[in-house]
Amino acid sequence: MQLEFTLNGMVRRLDVEPDETLLDVVRERLGLTGTKEGCDEGECGACTVLIDDRPVDSCIYPALAVEGLAVRTVEALSAPDGALSHLQRAFVDRAAVQCGFCTPGLLMTLTALLESNQNPSSSEVDDAIAGNICRCTGYSAIREAVRRAVEEVSA
Amino acid sequence: MFRAVTTVDAALRALDELGPGAQVIAGGTDVMIQRMTGSLSKSEPLVHIGRISEMRGVSLGSESITIGALSTHRDIRTDPILAAHLPSFVQASSTVGGWQTQEVGTIGGNVCNASPAADLGAPLLMAQATLVLVSSGGERRLQAADFFLGRRQTALEFGELLTAIEVPIPAPGSWETYIKIGRRSAMEVAIVGLAARFVVDGAVSAARLAFCSVAPRPMRVPDAEVSLVGTMLEDEAIAAAGRLCASAVSPIDDQRATASYRTSVVPRLVRQAAEACRSELV
Repeated sequence: MQLEFTLNGMVRRLDVEPDETLLDVVRERLGLTGTKEGCDEGECGACTVLIDDRPVDSCIYPALAVEGLAVRTVEALSAPDGALSHLQRAFVDRAAVQCGFCTPGLLMTLTALLESNQNPSSSEVDDAIAGNICRCTGYSAIREAVRRAVEEVSA
Repeated sequence: MFRAVTTVDAALRALDELGPGAQVIAGGTDVMIQRMTGSLSKSEPLVHIGRISEMRGVSLGSESITIGALSTHRDIRTDPILAAHLPSFVQASSTVGGWQTQEVGTIGGNVCNASPAADLGAPLLMAQATLVLVSSGGERRLQAADFFLGRRQTALEFGELLTAIEVPIPAPGSWETYIKIGRRSAMEVAIVGLAARFVVDGAVSAARLAFCSVAPRPMRVPDAEVSLVGTMLEDEAIAAAGRLCASAVSPIDDQRATASYRTSVVPRLVRQAAEACRSELV
């Protein structure tokens, strides 16, 4: 079936099957491999993308349900010249990345949080990323990175 | 086949046309996984109802609150009407998965999927909600107690769509909560969940206790509810109600917990809910 949607600002049209997931379309059909497949059952958040600015697990989301909507993946976070977003920069500076597999999903969820709430409390941060599993960092560096990104934006 | 519809009428026509195998999908957080793992057949058509706007949102009537079946868990946890009148619904939706699941998962999906652990099943039963089921032949209304038939079994018939859930506005003096035990505090399927309501007018004039994840379907414990009427939620009254609940449930062993653990947790949840109510109201 024909699908038309916006991916990182570009209109994309392609034929997809009813059971193809948004993750399959983004990675396998359109070649954007920044979004990761972790659990493949909506538990770990590694595949988080933003659909009309809302975080969604793309591994269990039917691609055909994004008809006409705007999808953003981790590839859209940096500027066209490659400059990292405040949040990405803070992840690097605070060493909030170890193996890195959960990082694209965490960045997308936290981007959605910071776009809707410019100064989240620590409990709001924890609640937002409850669905993003990181097995390396213990989350402390991730929390510090969010705090730094908030301070930089408000500075 | 993936048929996307944007009105209830179009959904009902699609269901009639595609026949009994058609699968209704909204947020997809259960349906997609069940099609991937084979518990639903991938060869059957999907009817995508996620964008039927008339089925989304919460409205306050004179005697009841209507929750559109496509209201997401995010909608419910942030809704001011529900926060004011039905906080147990807000608490239940807040514990369903993470943000990603709450953003697309719906109350109607949670209810129709009818997992024994479905968080919203307990508050629906506790609040004596009515489910509005619509088909091309008309509309019928079922009490939550008559809707849940067993594990993943509901009274929904082929060609019917759950469009809304109507919940009576609680009586003055009502206090309610939803408490859930999981292995951690987020992203958990309930090991045991309890929706409790106490109506307090000096003493307790009515109590309702509805559990999920301790039986094939959500269940109330009428004996325990009655035992609390007329009490001031004294420790001994709470303990007695807890014992009645523990003897009423019929949990199973599964990968999340043993039946005996679940049974031992049941009276503790009753105590936690009743003590919280007592500290505020009695």
